[in-house]
Amino acid sequence: MASIRAEKLVKRYGAVKAVHGIDFEIADGEFVAILGPSGCGKSSTMRMIAGLEPISEGAIYFDGKRINDVRARDRNVAMSFESYALYPTISIYENIAFPLRAAGMDNAEIDRRVRDIAGKMELTALLSQKPQGLSSGQAQRVGLARALVRKPAVFLLDEPISHLDTRQRYRMRRFIKSLHQEFNYTMIYVTHDQEEALALADRVMVMSDGEIQQMATPDEVYARPRNAFVAGFVGEPPINFVDCYVENGTGGWTVSFEGQRLALPERLSKAAERIGGEGLAAIRPHFLSLGDTSPLTLQGKVFVTEELQDQNLIFVDVGGTRFTLVAHPTVTPRRCETVTVSIDPEHLLLFPRSEARKFEDLAA
Amino acid sequence: MLQRDSSFAKEALRYGLIVLVLGFIVFPIFWMIVTSFKPAADIMVSPPRFLFTPTLENYYHAIYDKNFLFYIKNTLFISVASTILVVVAGSLAAYSFARYNVGDGHILFFILSTKMFPAIAVILPYFLIFRDIGKTDAGRFLGIGLDQPGALIISYTMFNLPFAIWLLVSFFQDIPRELEHSARLDGLSRLKVLRKVVFPLAAPGIAVTGVFTLIFCWNEFLFAYILTRKAASTVTVGVESFFTLQGILWGPVAAAATISVLPMMVFVLAMQRYMVRGLTFGAVRG
Repeated sequence: MASIRAEKLVKRYGAVKAVHGIDFEIADGEFVAILGPSGCGKSSTMRMIAGLEPISEGAIYFDGKRINDVRARDRNVAMSFESYALYPTISIYENIAFPLRAAGMDNAEIDRRVRDIAGKMELTALLSQKPQGLSSGQAQRVGLARALVRKPAVFLLDEPISHLDTRQRYRMRRFIKSLHQEFNYTMIYVTHDQEEALALADRVMVMSDGEIQQMATPDEVYARPRNAFVAGFVGEPPINFVDCYVENGTGGWTVSFEGQRLALPERLSKAAERIGGEGLAAIRPHFLSLGDTSPLTLQGKVFVTEELQDQNLIFVDVGGTRFTLVAHPTVTPRRCETVTVSIDPEHLLLFPRSEARKFEDLAA
Repeated sequence: MLQRDSSFAKEALRYGLIVLVLGFIVFPIFWMIVTSFKPAADIMVSPPRFLFTPTLENYYHAIYDKNFLFYIKNTLFISVASTILVVVAGSLAAYSFARYNVGDGHILFFILSTKMFPAIAVILPYFLIFRDIGKTDAGRFLGIGLDQPGALIISYTMFNLPFAIWLLVSFFQDIPRELEHSARLDGLSRLKVLRKVVFPLAAPGIAVTGVFTLIFCWNEFLFAYILTRKAASTVTVGVESFFTLQGILWGPVAAAATISVLPMMVFVLAMQRYMVRGLTFGAVRG
């Protein structure tokens, strides 16, 4: 097991800069998810940690030791791949034993370790098979077993469950979490699925455009996103954004949008001071409700209702802006009905208007 | 009833076509083998004779009088040496084209374009070059010169490499990169990754390439005819020597042809399993 530190890490592919000089630290035994849309630099970052890509600039340290020039095979890093990457010509047993044989371990020890991990991964019955006939869930478990069998210092997972169907995905997610709890490896999990990242990781590193947007616990990323990009990328259904105007009135800072004005809670005064003028207000669908229950209400027309049974998603047009709100399944307004939407001011977020662009890029 | 009739007609047509195509392919071979066992008097008669007293006279003539096994030995040596060179150099080149996109596709295309060059156009320069090399000490030592096996081995390697590389590139491209990444993280060096992961997976492709190359070398006539006289002559040139001033010795020709086809037949049958896998390659998924 090892702690990881990256300093001004840069990755260039020819003229294209994929990672723009990022810094981060991962503690020994920590589970970190790197979350971002495709092309954000998350895979390049992981591959530099693995040693599969040379580091263009900056440095990576394992336990304080610089590993830029250490070869991939000498880093003691294990990796589980999106496509499983099982060797098709050899049996499951040999697949799992592969890293141990490469290390020149003796046969008795290899056998002991392979059977031990196969037992934990429920693969014992499959050991003599070739990878060809495996289901995708089984194949991924073999991939994980092969990675874990040699007790790596760092365990990297590159979108390991994105090929599985929903049910399998839930199972594997629990399985991976339990692996971390049992073995306590330093784990880095790359994904574009915010739900996986929030569910699994101790800390989430949100990346976009080759930069770290925020690195924090799932709670913090969700409740206190550092910018509009993080707010928009994390959370399902996506957060509501609305153009707003922030000004300092007689009674302190206020925000106005869609013809409504609200005195800002103390919590937001710093953000308001920084923005002072045109801004972007954001509120999660869970903190909106139908009815007149808060000091800040908007009038709108119901556009569509999705009845998901455990909850209803209601889309409301307010002026030019469409709001999504999550409601109890018994709340079923008719289409085009005029409704009052209440906003919980405690959960209102404010961002500079300039960040709106990033969010639009993402939506497109 | 109607259904059965039409499916019967379909089946009949299918088998009819198979018999027709097989007739075209198998009959000449059958006729060659039959002729090789015919006494001289029964060979060029009209109508052709299907019943005759078989004789080994033609084989005796080809093997003892014409020393045909000498040509087989030459051909075997030249073809196998050339095939090994093509497969080794071709695999390494194809791997680097497939993985590192060396030359951005231009070099690969250039290499393939040399295959479009008509062999007849280069045969004279080749003749002159090998004649001059053969006069040097190094040429004599390495056996590269006119009527020496080295000249043919080099020529065949040159002419087969482009096709081999082109064929192999697609096989290597089909091997997922993640397998190599995984093997590198699992503790193998780059060369060991090639040996333990990449080449075993490309084996069907390498086998197909080897078979094609070997068959080409075995059947090649033009270069062998121009670049050799006697010492390094191959089977195709050997058969040609049966066309004598006294006439064409059809019986011994058929016997010699039968002998020279046999090794290839055995080889291809032995490789058939790999060839089928190689030709239907493209699904290496874990």
